[in-house]
Amino acid sequence: MHISEGVLSAPVLLTGAVLTATGVAVGLKKMKNEQLPLVGVLSSAFFVSSLIHIPVGPSAVHLVLNGLLGLLLGWVAFPAILVGVSLQALIFQFGGLTTLGVNTFNMAMPAILCYYLFARHISQDHPGVAMVLAFGCGFVAILLSAILVALSLIFTGESFVAAAKLLVVAHLPVMVVEAVVSALSLGFLMKVRPEILGVPHAT
Amino acid sequence: MRLDPGGEDFHRGVAVLVFSVILILPLLTTRAMAHKVNVFGWVEGDRVFVEGYFRGGKKAKDSLVEVFNEAGVKLLEGRTDETGRFSFKIPEKTDVRIVLTASMGHKNDFIVSASDFRESPSKSSRTPWVSAESRTVSAPTLEDPSRLETMIEQTMDRKLAPVIQLIRDSKKEGPTVAEIIGGIGYIFGLVGVAMYFNSRKKRSGGQRAAGSGQQDMGN
Repeated sequence: MHISEGVLSAPVLLTGAVLTATGVAVGLKKMKNEQLPLVGVLSSAFFVSSLIHIPVGPSAVHLVLNGLLGLLLGWVAFPAILVGVSLQALIFQFGGLTTLGVNTFNMAMPAILCYYLFARHISQDHPGVAMVLAFGCGFVAILLSAILVALSLIFTGESFVAAAKLLVVAHLPVMVVEAVVSALSLGFLMKVRPEILGVPHAT
Repeated sequence: MRLDPGGEDFHRGVAVLVFSVILILPLLTTRAMAHKVNVFGWVEGDRVFVEGYFRGGKKAKDSLVEVFNEAGVKLLEGRTDETGRFSFKIPEKTDVRIVLTASMGHKNDFIVSASDFRESPSKSSRTPWVSAESRTVSAPTLEDPSRLETMIEQTMDRKLAPVIQLIRDSKKEGPTVAEIIGGIGYIFGLVGVAMYFNSRKKRSGGQRAAGSGQQDMGN
């Protein structure tokens, strides 16, 4: 998911940076003080999840957890993911500093979309339905991220269809794992800490 | 149900999550791998060897290797084999930048300096894969300075072979536990800073008395 330094052209990098800046601004505005510890914990989880590696094909893929972040944080996932991606770039040298904007957007935007598609419809009165929605949230977030990465690579000479196919196929196991992780996390939180789930929905 | 940040429930909830993150850590360190692509190049005789691998040691197979000179002109290109390796004959005596492009937007480069490829007379006798002992150093003939230089080159090559191997291996390792914990600590630090400023804002302003129990934050 992390695009390396020197792959993308300046307009793509700039677009990514502007979109990410906007998303982060919205996220920070929506962030509530009482959410801060949860944001920190999820940002940390995002940061370390990239180390959980699933060997596939010629490359290597890892967990992203953006679906889970979207599920629990909504727009606040944007700043949380930016922090995670920045530290991954600085400490693990995943991606790079110039690609920070694009990489953050590629992982955060699907989180937001999944928040609207799935998370907002989660009700604690129907735990079964809620877990199915969380499953979809984890699955679709990765799928959309893979497509966004392919879209970012469109101007680099790689054909979109080929890149998208490769990325989606390579991330299929990740989609399944993340879907399960998201569903189980939600199930766990509904049982143990239901109040955490209330936070992104509160206005 | 309204969240009560000062409440015991909340702290316990956060503690559970933090604990889960920390629980994952030992699992990570044993299989700490991820997908940054690395490229490493070195000179053996008259050939430059390139090796591409992902962090964690997985080989970057069938990846595009492009070689540029100092001026940025592409000299040659090729693809890595099954073992993630590629080699080419030194094209010209300038610094060469080796760019490896793996799939899915992974890319990295490595510069092999021109000073690495001086004349190496014993090139044919060398086995490509660093067997330092097999390299022979001819007897010194001090009248010829260029000969002496070659000898020094050879000795340096031999002496540095283990070091190069070490560098190559070290790049394959995943992030250390210290790095991982450092990153997590950094994030928690950020949360602390954010809470500090939030609590100050509240203390000085006093407005925005939304949410119950918020005043307890950041103590």
